[in-house]
Amino acid sequence: MNHELHVRAERLIAQERIEEISATERAWLAKHLDECTRCAAMASSTQQALASLRASSVDLPRGLASRTQMRVRMRAEELRERAPGKKILWAITAVSWGLGVATAPWVWHGFEWLGQHTGVPKPFWEMGFVLWWAIPAIIAAGAVILEKKDEQQII
Amino acid sequence: MMDDDAKELVRGLQRRDPDLLDRLIEQYQYRLFRYLVHLTGNRERAEDFFQETWVRVLERGHQYEGKWKFETWLFAIARNLVIDWQRRKKPASLDELMEPREDATPFEPATAAEDSPLAQAMQRQGESEMQVSLTQLPVIYREVLLLRFQEEMGLEEIATVMSTPLSTVKSRLYRGLEELRKSITEARA
Repeated sequence: MNHELHVRAERLIAQERIEEISATERAWLAKHLDECTRCAAMASSTQQALASLRASSVDLPRGLASRTQMRVRMRAEELRERAPGKKILWAITAVSWGLGVATAPWVWHGFEWLGQHTGVPKPFWEMGFVLWWAIPAIIAAGAVILEKKDEQQII
Repeated sequence: MMDDDAKELVRGLQRRDPDLLDRLIEQYQYRLFRYLVHLTGNRERAEDFFQETWVRVLERGHQYEGKWKFETWLFAIARNLVIDWQRRKKPASLDELMEPREDATPFEPATAAEDSPLAQAMQRQGESEMQVSLTQLPVIYREVLLLRFQEEMGLEEIATVMSTPLSTVKSRLYRGLEELRKSITEARA
């Protein structure tokens, strides 16, 4: 028998189990397996291997689920306890940001007045204003980074 | 479109519902533990990863959107934990996970109390052959075979769990099936 026919049969034996084969291919394979003992043996051993794989089992450790449930509940409790702290931090950051936006025009005039009275060059007091404005953003970014870092360590 | 159960699952995970998590742990304990045992080749380690996986489910529950089946997400979490651990331990391929430690507890095939002694003996022999054959397989093949033929996952689900292209999943399945067949045939010869 042509070697290519065996190769095709071997491919279809695997493909039938892993993906799908067409009705035509299935009919061809069935006919080939009737005529070829070598390929039929291969189909049979593949079937047996899969049957054994499906039948293989693993013993569950005693109390695995209850131990896990307890650990998950303890972790959930920890997370709940930490939640208010996080909320307060975010609230402070948000209030700080809001106040920064609301008071920006007055703060600008304040920096301008201070610059004029102390004789500080304009770029310096403008820089001071930008820094003052950026502080809430820096705090917020820092808080987010710390939180992420913390989460990664825990996980 | 998500059905009501899936929506409820998403909502429960988002609010870290402890009762829901208890139910899920019960429901998926066998499948997840079996997957981890086969992935790590070690029961004690599998148990550690089992617990870690559920802690991660609790912590990351808000990230589950119901786009995939829950088990697909669950297995992906478990797999990532194993890979992260392996990377931290030493930069090496996942294959090294499968080298059984000398002090590791060997696989213990489950026994069915209602079976006859002969049936139990035959089952033990068959399972023992399978365990030997499985441990001889590289993990990349063992994993896809388990997901496909024990978990009955679709090819795309397996690709999602493994974060691997579909073509890679298919090629590993073909190669793995062939290796398993040869290994079992040799074991029985």
